Amino acid sequence: MSAPVAKNAIKQSKRDLETANALFKVNAEARLPLERIAAPTDRHYRMRMAHQGLLNANPRKSGVLNAVIGYAALFGAAHIVLILAFQVIPALLTNGLPFPWTGFGLERNSFWFNVIYGVLSPVLAFLFVAVVALINILMLRKYLAKVQNRYGPLHNGPSGSLQTVYDALKLVSKEDYTPKMVEETIFTLAPVLVFVSAFVLMAVIPFAPGWFFANVEAGAVFIIAAGTLGSYGVLLAGWSMNNKFGLMGGMRAAAQLVSYEVPLSISLLSVCVYAGSMNLTQIVNAQSQIWFALPLFIPFVIYLIAGLAEIKMTPFDLPEAESELVAGFNTEYGGMRFGFFFVAEFAELYLLPAVLAIFFLGGWHMLPLPETWVANLLGREIQLYPFGNVHLLGYKELFVYGVDGSIWRNIFYSFWFLVKGALGVYFYMWIRATLPRFRDDQLMELCWKGLIPLALVGLMLAAFSKLVPAIGTILSVLVGGAFLVLVIRGALFPTSKTASSNVGSSSSKPSSEVHS
Amino acid sequence: MTATATKPSVNATGMMAPTGLERVEGRSDEMLLNLGPQHPATHGVLRVLMGVDGERVTRAIPHIGYLHRNHEKLDEVRTYPMCIPYTDRMDYVSGMQNELPLCLALEEMLGVEVPERAKYIRTILFELSRIASHLVWIGTYMLDLGAITPFLYAFRDREMILDIIEKTAGARLLPNYFTFGGVRRDHHPRMLEEITEFLNWLETKLHEYEALTIDAPVFQARTVGVGILDPQVALNHGVTGPNLRGSGIPWDLRKDDPYDAYPYLDFEVCVEYGLDAYSRSRARFREFFESIKIIRQAIAQCPKSGPYLPKLPRLKPAAGMERYRAVEISRGHLGIHLIADGSEKPYRSKHRSPSFCTLQALPDMFVGSKFSDAIAILGSIDIVLGEVDR
Repeated sequence: MSAPVAKNAIKQSKRDLETANALFKVNAEARLPLERIAAPTDRHYRMRMAHQGLLNANPRKSGVLNAVIGYAALFGAAHIVLILAFQVIPALLTNGLPFPWTGFGLERNSFWFNVIYGVLSPVLAFLFVAVVALINILMLRKYLAKVQNRYGPLHNGPSGSLQTVYDALKLVSKEDYTPKMVEETIFTLAPVLVFVSAFVLMAVIPFAPGWFFANVEAGAVFIIAAGTLGSYGVLLAGWSMNNKFGLMGGMRAAAQLVSYEVPLSISLLSVCVYAGSMNLTQIVNAQSQIWFALPLFIPFVIYLIAGLAEIKMTPFDLPEAESELVAGFNTEYGGMRFGFFFVAEFAELYLLPAVLAIFFLGGWHMLPLPETWVANLLGREIQLYPFGNVHLLGYKELFVYGVDGSIWRNIFYSFWFLVKGALGVYFYMWIRATLPRFRDDQLMELCWKGLIPLALVGLMLAAFSKLVPAIGTILSVLVGGAFLVLVIRGALFPTSKTASSNVGSSSSKPSSEVHS
Repeated sequence: MTATATKPSVNATGMMAPTGLERVEGRSDEMLLNLGPQHPATHGVLRVLMGVDGERVTRAIPHIGYLHRNHEKLDEVRTYPMCIPYTDRMDYVSGMQNELPLCLALEEMLGVEVPERAKYIRTILFELSRIASHLVWIGTYMLDLGAITPFLYAFRDREMILDIIEKTAGARLLPNYFTFGGVRRDHHPRMLEEITEFLNWLETKLHEYEALTIDAPVFQARTVGVGILDPQVALNHGVTGPNLRGSGIPWDLRKDDPYDAYPYLDFEVCVEYGLDAYSRSRARFREFFESIKIIRQAIAQCPKSGPYLPKLPRLKPAAGMERYRAVEISRGHLGIHLIADGSEKPYRSKHRSPSFCTLQALPDMFVGSKFSDAIAILGSIDIVLGEVDR
């Protein structure tokens, strides 16, 4: 009975052997020589080698070319949205189009114009933020990656350019989940509140003369007020989610934001005192002679530091301290609810340097070169431009061309404004990549003992500078510079080991008695 | 603290009630917070049950055992060579160091003479593992303190060490390379040159890391005076390694109970007298430079040729023989107590792991500190949960 089975089995195994032999021969021919296998062809192996400095970091493309393309796309897209928002659509509503059909023929600032433009402007503002965010987040991630010896996004789209889009899609397509035991109304409302408070600042930002959604007379107060609204959102988010980490994050955020509002507001008010106006356009116009960062150096430094705390970023990222509070006030949020926090964070990150540029860095003015400037230094008149009242290249302003009020001129103006904003973002990212986080009491100490007294000094100096510009400026730069040096050298904090070295002395702690 | 004064102390509370969940009367403002077992700053699966009053920590009870894998019992049903790979899994951040106490203990039980070359190879790789482990520590500690960049720098350099170990031992993290009487195989022909190149690279980078980490003002603001560990308390709990040396006690087994090539090498024990998280960090950071010094000397002294593994007797210590051997790994004294019963398997193997003992001192450092400080303290004692739970 078993003989044929065995025979078959032998036959089968012979056939298997032949097949195996044939296959092996094929494989042996197809096999690569050993050195080619060992060569670093594998992408990840290459990356590892690159980290060790054995290979060129990015063998495919030069980073400079990518950066140029990225910035061209960033500023191009931003300008297209700006022109659409401030030139094309108003022209469409009024009779401003250069076609036979010239538009809807509404009066500018008439009731229906205001209604339609008012409805459209949030959409346009969001479009602007979205376009800037999509490109700028990628650039920032690449920048941070460069600092940290990484590559950043690589795989989605050319040089990872679609990564942000995919991230956004992921957030949108996730389940809108509300955990049990949360205070549902507030839990839902809080991210919206945070988002709106950051986003509403867009309404008053002047990108160029005449390029703003709303010309608020007390624009500075509006900015301060809108910023304060965000702390409610964060506090409510932390409180409503019924999570202990969230609660602690919310409390930290409330304490931090409310405290840092004070020096931030005082520093902005110093500018208002010096410029003699709270209107943002007038503040920028007042800087056509000199950037306020120079005469108001103290408020400028305070805004730089307190602004970081206002947007809850390193070294002041205590409310969402990942290693302590998991995610802090947004621990229980997921999907697009978290997305609101995320977008708000980015909007704040971008709007903070924008406000900085408006108040301290001349807004849309390229360089603080006045049209005619005869400096009066210690009683001697100094002619700044030796060839008379003519600017470089014969134009009214450096690197700004075109007739006053034209689109062409406004594009140049808004370009410089956006450049300043972008540089500010990179400055903050640089800090983010470098510094560890403060503790909460140190945070408060820095605010109440350092920044607020200094801000008051800055306010007084601002008033003084308005009366006696030269001496005020010198004083301001001296005091502010000294403070900056102190901060940088860490003199506000213990730099040497101060802990007592009582080695050998026996402990008096009650807990040690248990074990001894 | 006033409420706890009438109650038993934190440690006693932890011992009486395994959960520690009972509330203290008259303390309605205390919030009980579970730090872990899944938390970004617990370095694994530690769970610390904390009472927090606002930001102030009132109680802390570490709960361990989430990574328990029963190594000691597993050793009893395995032959001695089969035990070595298990030791790798204890302190997986510096896997190679864990193999040494087992090897030393059995060598001393059997009277095996380790060849000189093997001693030096072991010492070099032992110190290289220490550098790798401390790099992980500085990276993750800075991550705990909120700085993301040093972590990536540290891991880039650790990667180079792992590459060197991989070329020699065949594995990166759990190498299973040391063995009874020496090392398992000869080292990679270019290993010593590669290590020298790496040390030159690391030395230039360490000054950068120093500026980014322990010399940074914010780092010092966060760590100076934080998490005071009294020397007497530390000794009572059995804290060893850089944590003990950060409390001012110069106890280092490489000096005090030398093994392998350490008697022939010149180095100093890094002691700091501040008792706080900063001192522990500083003691650890200085060990980078000491390890570099040790490796350079060992490479210079290492015989160019010679046996790396002697002819071994049968690995069957006589019944009743026992030996305790401890070495100074990155985190402190890692000891093993072997008891033989005459077979090729140990009758009992008991591990004494440094992080386990260090963790006992955690409540003493936690209570009274801020919540942010608690994270800074947890990072400063550099625990590895694989070795706590075993």
